[in-house]
Amino acid sequence: MTRQTMFVTWAAVLGAAQLACGGAAVPHQEMATAQAGVRAAEVGGAPEHPQAELRLKHANEKIAAAEALIKEGDNETATLRLHEAAADAELALAIALKEQAKKDAEQALKRIKVLMTETRS
Amino acid sequence: MTRTQPFARSVRAGQLMLLGLTAALSVACGGAALPPPELVAARDAYEKASTGPAADYAPASLDTAKQALGKAENAWKEDPKAKEAETLTLAYIAERRALTSDALGEAAKARKDRIKLDQEYIELQEKRASMTEEELERVRSRLAIASQKAATSEAELAKERAARAEAEKKLSAAVASLAEMASVKEEARGMVITLNGSVLFTTGKYELLPIAKSKLDEVAKALQEQGFKKIVIEGHTDSRGKASDNDTLSERRATSVKDHLVSQGLEAGKIQAVGLGSTRPLDTNDTPEGRANNRRVELIVTN
Repeated sequence: MTRQTMFVTWAAVLGAAQLACGGAAVPHQEMATAQAGVRAAEVGGAPEHPQAELRLKHANEKIAAAEALIKEGDNETATLRLHEAAADAELALAIALKEQAKKDAEQALKRIKVLMTETRS
Repeated sequence: MTRTQPFARSVRAGQLMLLGLTAALSVACGGAALPPPELVAARDAYEKASTGPAADYAPASLDTAKQALGKAENAWKEDPKAKEAETLTLAYIAERRALTSDALGEAAKARKDRIKLDQEYIELQEKRASMTEEELERVRSRLAIASQKAATSEAELAKERAARAEAEKKLSAAVASLAEMASVKEEARGMVITLNGSVLFTTGKYELLPIAKSKLDEVAKALQEQGFKKIVIEGHTDSRGKASDNDTLSERRATSVKDHLVSQGLEAGKIQAVGLGSTRPLDTNDTPEGRANNRRVELIVTN
């Protein structure tokens, strides 16, 4: 058995042992994705619209829960919370965009009404 | 027969056992179990999103929501118990994806509406501006016409003034040329041109002398150019002789002057000839000079 073959064998054994114990890897990537989603929602104006703000709050709560689970070593459940957090952040951003677009459309309509009134008078 | 009956009973019993086992297995596997509320919510959310504006305005996002719902459905179908936590998370995510898709669809629709409204606003503004421009053009046109009229009126007025001044000049010149036989005075009743009777007529006659005719021609021409409303021609005599004869003579002399002026183009309807005899003497009738002053024809011109 060469040194290389031994290394691969041990690595496989250790990996199998980790999986057998239910020890998923720390979800760094998922954490980064969820946090980036929250930042995007904040920049996108989510805090200015109540419905979007609520979803943003859920996302932050899920991230906080995931952090606690990671500390406890429950990375698998933490990963699930982070996936949920990313979905909440994404929804917060979408709601903010919707509210802003509706507001802009209402403004445009109001502007037309004013102009029509001025034109008639 | 006796062999067959126990065999049939055993087969029936076997069938019953199999049915019971199948039912028990089915319950044990959760075949009759209800889907979790999260999954139901995800289905409802997707149903709403797929029938909303997302279908037209956010199809990619709607497709992502559909895939997320599919994953959740599969997880629940495959192993409802063992993967409960994962199923719930997948359903949670699926619902959020559907809601996201719905929101993005509405946002896109609102943006499109806004673009349309902005376009309408621009068109309305342009229409309004063009209306204003048209109105301005109309006002400008009216002003141009008005100022043209004003200029024309001014020019006409100036022309008229010049013509009047010229006519007055000519009249003055005509009257001046009559200096030896006439005088001109401005009185309340109008401009009074007094013609000496002895220059116009021979004694007792009412036919105009040739020199008088040529002088009256100039007066007629000047009056015609100047324009007038009315001329009253008064014939006057001195007090010698019978009053009735004087009245007749004075009237005929006035008429002779009128006829001559009419023959020169003045409008007959605007000229009145009257004989006043010796009723309105200018001077004494006791001296030859006084009587000569009283024998006269007066033209009272009103404008």
